[in-house]
Amino acid sequence: MNCDRCKGDAVMHAAYSGAHLCEAHFCESVERRVRRRVRRDDLVPKDASPENPQTWVIGLSGGKDSVVLTQILHETFAEDPRIELVGLTIHEGIEGYRDKSLEACVDLAEDLEIRHEVVSYEEEFGVRMDDVVEDDPENMAACAYCGVFRRDLLSTYADELGADILLTGHNLDDEAQTALMNFLEGDVAQIAKHFDASLGPLSEREEQTEFVPRAKPLRDVPEKEVALYAHLADLPAHITECPHSSEAYRGEIQKLLYGLEENHPGTRHSIISGYEELAGIVSDQYSGDDGADLRECVECGSTTTREVCRKCSLLESIHAV
Amino acid sequence: MPTRVTVDVKGEDTHEIDLERLAASGNSGEPISYADLLAEVDLSPHEVSVLVDGRPVPEDQPVEADHVTVLRLIKGG
Repeated sequence: MNCDRCKGDAVMHAAYSGAHLCEAHFCESVERRVRRRVRRDDLVPKDASPENPQTWVIGLSGGKDSVVLTQILHETFAEDPRIELVGLTIHEGIEGYRDKSLEACVDLAEDLEIRHEVVSYEEEFGVRMDDVVEDDPENMAACAYCGVFRRDLLSTYADELGADILLTGHNLDDEAQTALMNFLEGDVAQIAKHFDASLGPLSEREEQTEFVPRAKPLRDVPEKEVALYAHLADLPAHITECPHSSEAYRGEIQKLLYGLEENHPGTRHSIISGYEELAGIVSDQYSGDDGADLRECVECGSTTTREVCRKCSLLESIHAV
Repeated sequence: MPTRVTVDVKGEDTHEIDLERLAASGNSGEPISYADLLAEVDLSPHEVSVLVDGRPVPEDQPVEADHVTVLRLIKGG
């Protein structure tokens, strides 16, 4: 089967667009979508200049998504003195798994000659996920603890590194799943927060001085295409599943979406397109509701809606075991 | 088109698929595609890549190889 653009051998078929593309045209198409998203989300502010450069911290786990994101952003901005990229890797204390993916991060950062910082749950919080899973004081899935700790460290270190934006490698499948989960849970306030935290164009988001703004420039690219790009570009992505991974509800939604996408190609794109429009509307509706309840955690001083933030209360239960 | 295809799902099982039986059980008259092979082993084309001789192939392409490798996507990024 031939590429629609050059008649070379096609390496993929995108049922949602009908396209068959060869390696070169497929890679170009992924890169174009990422750059278009960077433009649409207004990630490079008008006042960015070589004298006023922007620091973009990328959550670099070493998996395919963050590696592809880092590679494409590097290719796009390596010669642009307005943007400095920094990779930030979190070591959760998962024997074997994170050690290997950390190697992928180090290799990539060296190849691209970008600054790379590594922080660990053990050094920061005195815990390792392997032990947390063993003790499980709150009777929760591993990802429920890990997500709280990871978000805390990403945001703390993004701030410490002087980030103007914190970028993560969420792809179209991730975002369509999250959109559907928020919708099915009826969580309209969460949809508004999602817009202000990471989805809306920077210029349209509700001002949040307490947090570094987040961005997800890979979110127009299906997961399968991210993996294919990593494979074709021979990037040092680490390809092992986390041994503690267990997001049952997300897995159920993922299966549902595979079926819908199969029977109705383009479903993920239309979910996200409609969701973003709705999220923008509800963000306006909820405007001003959020900031009033924010306060400092009495334990660590981070911004939270509670007296003691979720991270500190989880750490307290873990250390009590 | 080969008569039998080996579908090697990396890290999991290897399946032998009889294409003539598969063609007879379908009613579309269309040639068997790599997507049909995936359906036969209960996988969605959105969760895997199909490789022939180490190169990715479009899933809607008619099956031409007698051995295909299937790589599952790994979550996490």
